[in-house]
Amino acid sequence: MSALYRLTGVTKKYGPNTVLDDVSFEIGKSEVVGLLGDNGAGKSTLVKIMSGVVQANEGEFHWDDAPIERMNRDVTERLGVETIFQDSALVPFMTITRNIFMGREITNRLGFMKMKQMDAITADVLDSVVTIEGIKSPKQLVASLSGGQAQAVAIARAVHFKRSLLILDEPTSALAVRATEALLNYLTHLKSEGVSSVLVTHNLHHAYQVCDRHIVMNHGRKILDVRREDTTVEELTAAVVEGAEGIRRYREGRF
Amino acid sequence: MTDRRSTGADAPIIEAPLATEAITTQRRMSDARQSTNFGGRLKHELQFIRGRGALEITIVFVVLLVGYVIASLVSPTSFAFLNPNNLSGVISQAVPVLAILGLAAGILMIAGEFDLSLGANITLSAIVFIKTAEGVGLWAAIAAGVLCGVLVALVNGAIVVYTRIPSFIATLGMSFFWMGAGIFINGTTPATLTTSRDETMVFLFAQDFGFFRSQIVWLIVIGVLAWFFVHRHRLGNHLFAVGGNPAAAEAISINPKRVKLMSFAIFGGLVGFASILIAVRTSSMQPGGSATEDFTLFAIAAAVVGGTSLLGGRGTVLGIIIGAALIELIRNGLLLAKAPGFYITLFVGVTIVIAAIFNKLMEGKAR
Repeated sequence: MSALYRLTGVTKKYGPNTVLDDVSFEIGKSEVVGLLGDNGAGKSTLVKIMSGVVQANEGEFHWDDAPIERMNRDVTERLGVETIFQDSALVPFMTITRNIFMGREITNRLGFMKMKQMDAITADVLDSVVTIEGIKSPKQLVASLSGGQAQAVAIARAVHFKRSLLILDEPTSALAVRATEALLNYLTHLKSEGVSSVLVTHNLHHAYQVCDRHIVMNHGRKILDVRREDTTVEELTAAVVEGAEGIRRYREGRF
Repeated sequence: MTDRRSTGADAPIIEAPLATEAITTQRRMSDARQSTNFGGRLKHELQFIRGRGALEITIVFVVLLVGYVIASLVSPTSFAFLNPNNLSGVISQAVPVLAILGLAAGILMIAGEFDLSLGANITLSAIVFIKTAEGVGLWAAIAAGVLCGVLVALVNGAIVVYTRIPSFIATLGMSFFWMGAGIFINGTTPATLTTSRDETMVFLFAQDFGFFRSQIVWLIVIGVLAWFFVHRHRLGNHLFAVGGNPAAAEAISINPKRVKLMSFAIFGGLVGFASILIAVRTSSMQPGGSATEDFTLFAIAAAVVGGTSLLGGRGTVLGIIIGAALIELIRNGLLLAKAPGFYITLFVGVTIVIAAIFNKLMEGKAR
């Protein structure tokens, strides 16, 4: 499997603090990757760098084996990277339609939006792509949706615009059990359509259920990068909680 | 663990329905959020309307207007609201200026910023307009006045956007700078329109056509343009996105800095234009004076009364115009009732604080 997105030697410093230290990994095509780690492990920074919002101090990036010369949000947008940040993927006081088409509005030549067309497409997307209960109209404000519904709208947006890599930052933290299940299932479903995703989460069980591969971060370093077949929830737990030491002890059977 | 591994990497682990027709059908059939009792439905409907506009304020406006009309019909002499002079003065002279300034402040507020140098900007732009009109000519003066407003606001905007100083502080400080700039250009004597205040200029900006004046025509033109821009244009959508949730906007590759600078520029253009209306009506402008300072908070109040959020991301063009009309209506009512003029200042002050509290409560609920 050739890599969709490859990061090599990514280092990020904020003043004297090294937040990411020589991190390298790749994301395959149609692969769901779990990005795990405790608070402060560098996950969020890594997500921001992958999505092009924050620039790394050092590091190379390859997309489909072609080098990316200058990383920024415009480039990743063109490549089809979509990040769904926890709680903040949508604008609360905008309608669902306006959120879905935010930044990618359907307009005439003068830049005026074709509201009817966008509403119709939104209604269509909401009916066909995502599992959302209780949404009445594309004109509903996002502020009136539940956490799960809002998350689903954010995902619907990514799906509608045929993104090739979905980065979900703690997507399940605000969700009810049922919505979480639907979301996790959905990632598997997306995979079958050729979309890769990165699931950033605290919740090892969620990650273990759906991810093909797990990357564990600890204090800015990658300490584990393993396919699901080759690991267990226990090993991942040990890695997240105790770092490299935990992995070693687990493998020696002393965890 | 072993049996889990044997399911293979590609098989879904949870046996819940996939994201397909099963749940969607259920969604259409039964609406989980639909309350059955009347109170619940009403609450839901109010939530639905909430934040999108001008409904409440329109009701208040209409009620007050009806009250004024009745009062004026009952006692036409002591409360001369329906007197043609009064109507024309309020509706098509005072309201348009405040409404245009309210739109300026409101559009900036939707993008999540403030410009407290609005009053100073008016003074400076009006002086530039007057001096250019006297020295060069009317059309150059119009361009210069508007351009001056834009430049002043863009300098403010650049400071806010690139230094990330809260716009409150930055523009409050710059307000003194721009006031000083007015004195620097013109000295401490008032700039006055003399020979250049000809028929064309008056016709364009201050003509009394009997039951309406030039200013109201400008308000209609600017209001329509603003509505289409704010509510129907792609860039208007970006205003709401950046003001409502900058992180989400940036994640979707909208550049918040660019959008904020744009909103400062629009703000400046509208303020520059309003300053022309003010200058032509009054024929003069006092540099460094306090005559225009009130406009800063009045414009913000018009926007806030019209439903614009102090925290960004919410507001409507229609609401702002009605907000401005409401403030001027109250001011006029106080005047006609021979109440002291400072009552309106009390009202505006209290309104902004109450709106701030109200905003806080609503925003808190939405999170």
